[in-house]
Amino acid sequence: MIKKSFIYEQNSAQLKVDGLPDHSLGQSEEMIGILSGWELKLVGAPILEGNRLHLQSLIIVVLSYSRYCLSGVYKQFGNSDGPVQILPCKLGHEIILTSSQEGVEPLKIQIDDAQLTDLVRCLDDLLHDNRVKINWKLPFYKPLNTTDLTINTPFLERFTPAISGITAIFVFCLLYIYTPQEVNLNNKENQTLHYQLK
Amino acid sequence: MNLTPKPIHQNYPTKNSFGESLPTKNSSGYVLGRRGLERLDLLLLAIEALDLNGSQSMLWTSNKLGLTEYFPNHVEIWKCRCHNPMRKSSRRGPLNSDCSEALILLTSTMAERLYPSLRMLISSKEPLSIHEQRWNLFNRRIKELIEERMNKRRGAVQKLLYSEMSEPILRQLVFSLALSVGSGGVDRLRSSLLDSTV
Repeated sequence: MIKKSFIYEQNSAQLKVDGLPDHSLGQSEEMIGILSGWELKLVGAPILEGNRLHLQSLIIVVLSYSRYCLSGVYKQFGNSDGPVQILPCKLGHEIILTSSQEGVEPLKIQIDDAQLTDLVRCLDDLLHDNRVKINWKLPFYKPLNTTDLTINTPFLERFTPAISGITAIFVFCLLYIYTPQEVNLNNKENQTLHYQLK
Repeated sequence: MNLTPKPIHQNYPTKNSFGESLPTKNSSGYVLGRRGLERLDLLLLAIEALDLNGSQSMLWTSNKLGLTEYFPNHVEIWKCRCHNPMRKSSRRGPLNSDCSEALILLTSTMAERLYPSLRMLISSKEPLSIHEQRWNLFNRRIKELIEERMNKRRGAVQKLLYSEMSEPILRQLVFSLALSVGSGGVDRLRSSLLDSTV
């Protein structure tokens, strides 16, 4: 059985996947159904390699992060105990890859926006390639809710409308309580009171 | 409203000659909110700022994509874009889902065509002087287009034109366009435009 390799290239990223067709599912020789390895080359970073699960984690983390970036929300994706994490940093974005081997320090790669889009395009190309028939078990792209969208908004800015509203209500209540009310002399009860006071 | 999310790697049944999905009658069933319409129109405006012959190439691309049913001429594209409430002459009411889908597909395809220019704008590896020159040119063009077409009395338009926040907003716009490129870009962009309103 001949091993197949497919390469997905963009300006600063190159993803190579190796694998074999899964004949039990009736796949042709030109397809990959079983992934045996992958290799990711990013300009200015060491070559990344791993197994299928590592690639799946990379795809999930990077695509979910890019989805949030599209809405202007920059937050960390991936658990600290998982193989891949991505978070915003000064240069742009930082990918942290944790090796499953003991005693190996996590690898940190900083990429800019352009490199991130190149990587996203490579991953998209792999996912939409009809020759690669792998069930990646990927999440769905969903619209973000208000909580997610305000995550990058500073605390004070986020709660300014609520704080100013509550303050305004409080001030008006105080004014209402402490403002002396005018006595209506047309009212009979008030007139009697007025004469008694005189 | 049907907001059933689609898997990241899902292929659509109806495809055009480019292998891209086409909106089908009553297929999508979502309605873009006010913010979504504003962002979609601004993304198209950014495309026009990057491509001097943008409106003409939009029509050409829509014909190539097989969207003639939705956009037979410039006027129909303009009518759909006029649902943006920031416009000088905005149209009331929601934009129907098929037209929204067609506009999203058009935006993604146009962004793909302009990807080299987008990439140069968001790359931090470019020489600083050239980078600044490109940004100044883009800023000038998009601001001219905004002044020409948008209602300057609106706070959101003033924020885009005159405030300190205008540069980060425009940068985010370019980055969003770059992330909308590619086979998964349409799904990402669609879900981003359906975000809740903050």
